[in-house]
Amino acid sequence: MLTFVISRLLRAGLTILFVMTFAFIVLRLSGDPALLIMSVDAPPEAVAAFREAWGLNRPIWEQYFSYIGHAFTGDFGKSMRDGRPAIDLVMERVPATLAITMPALALKIGLGIPAGIYAALHRNSMADRLTMAASVAGFTMPSFVLALLLVLVFAVQLGWLPASGSGSLDHAILPIITLGTGGAAIMARFTRSAMLEVLGQPYIRAASAKGVNWHRVVSRHALPNAAIPTVTIVGFMVGSLVAGAVVVESVFAWPGIGRLLVSAVANRDLAVVQAILMVIATWMVAANFTVDLAYGWLDPRVRNATAH
Amino acid sequence: MAIAEHAPETISRRRRFLKLPVGVSLALGWLGLMIVVAFGAELLTPYSFTALDLKARLSPPLLMGGSLAHPLGTDELGRDVLSRLIVSIRMSLLIALFGTIIAASLGTALGFLAAHFRGKVEQLVLMAIDFQASMPFMIIALSVLAFFGNNLVLFIALMGFHSWERYARIARGLTLAANEQGYAAAVRQLGAGPGRIYGLHILPNIASTLIVSMTLTFPEIILLESGLSFLGLGVQPPLTSLGNMVGYGREYITRAPWIMLAPASAIVVTTLSISLLGDWLRDRLDPTLR
Repeated sequence: MLTFVISRLLRAGLTILFVMTFAFIVLRLSGDPALLIMSVDAPPEAVAAFREAWGLNRPIWEQYFSYIGHAFTGDFGKSMRDGRPAIDLVMERVPATLAITMPALALKIGLGIPAGIYAALHRNSMADRLTMAASVAGFTMPSFVLALLLVLVFAVQLGWLPASGSGSLDHAILPIITLGTGGAAIMARFTRSAMLEVLGQPYIRAASAKGVNWHRVVSRHALPNAAIPTVTIVGFMVGSLVAGAVVVESVFAWPGIGRLLVSAVANRDLAVVQAILMVIATWMVAANFTVDLAYGWLDPRVRNATAH
Repeated sequence: MAIAEHAPETISRRRRFLKLPVGVSLALGWLGLMIVVAFGAELLTPYSFTALDLKARLSPPLLMGGSLAHPLGTDELGRDVLSRLIVSIRMSLLIALFGTIIAASLGTALGFLAAHFRGKVEQLVLMAIDFQASMPFMIIALSVLAFFGNNLVLFIALMGFHSWERYARIARGLTLAANEQGYAAAVRQLGAGPGRIYGLHILPNIASTLIVSMTLTFPEIILLESGLSFLGLGVQPPLTSLGNMVGYGREYITRAPWIMLAPASAIVVTTLSISLLGDWLRDRLDPTLR
């Protein structure tokens, strides 16, 4: 088990290094940062001073290592907009993002998994068809369209909820529903197919044939095995929580990381973009790492496969 | 071997192929319409998509008591929504089409390379696949746009990087399997070069799986493009795309919801149609993916 954990940790570290290198290369490819940040007609002395200050006149590999070193201590430079450290700007937005993404995640899991299990156990029933139809809709409806439709109905027509902004519990309801329902539909689809896959296995038939009562077959034989692929999807959803919030936060003017990213991209505030990239990458990697551990815990084959 | 085993099935399968379910026929009909609209955009638009009609600003569509002059209404500058919709459909479909083709070619080529050379090349490709799969593409796309700024060519190229790793994975896996089978070895023994083996023998054998993946990528790129354009970071005005139109229409959602509803329904119906078609194709062409 220990080698398993260590190998996964190494892999996680490597992915983060990859993301940082990606950001570094893309940033350097995009042109001279000095000219990008200062105006084109800035005096040459100012440009030279800027290069000196940011170490841009040093060899590229030296820049790379100092960049990586700074990144590991959370130093991504200062925001070009208001001169504050980029990482602080990002970190203070995290709670707002979690405030809508966590309830949305609970909605996805709490609604999606039971619906998927139910649909699989009652295959081809009305409930199954409805779940499948909803999941196709969840796949194909872009979140901004769903968000705007919800605004149109609940804010404009009925006037029950605010259309955008933040500050009260009411403001969070529409963003949470937007994020949660689409994900719940996808969750239901995956859970259903995982369950159907397991229910078709010989050991389920064997257990039923032995006379084990059906409830026990489902709860003891089918569910634990169907949990393995389902955990992958949950992990993926946890990992992409922040990314998924980009559009929804922008629609509802919710002050989270996603909206910060959009405005930073529009203003080409590169330090902030890099900091967000790192925060999201770390988050994704942590989620994947947890999924890997959960695999090892759920499935003895995985944990023993790496042991020898 | 595999073909011989399935031979008796082919007739009944062909018969099933011809009998289309209602949903799939509707989807095909809609997609046909979209293709006609995309190709005939110039002929079909009643007005130029940038033409202003300041006297008829925010005029409602026919169904909401508007006039025949602007069947889908007009926007805040009096531009005809129908004309803008047609031009936007063409733009969104073009981007999705090019994006899908780039992703499929790039991914398949890398998958072939990995399967052909094995060793270090394969490790490198696998690492790139892992990296691509571990970051949400939306975030990668946003950071590239932040670093490079935006223009249409770069934007289309960027869309082409979406989900290339899916094709690379499929192409590599299936090629490794194909190399084990008799036919690839037989052609190699006959003296065919790698280009001939991969292009003429392996590619046709794995094409159905790749095509099914394309029906997944295409709507994903439409959604990604429209999401980015909606945020104002994709297609830039004066050009217009479906997401772009929804983004602008959002500001008039209380007074003129039709500006946003028309392109929004075009996005949803189109992606839905492709997904239905893709599901159906998957069942028909590739039973292994079911």
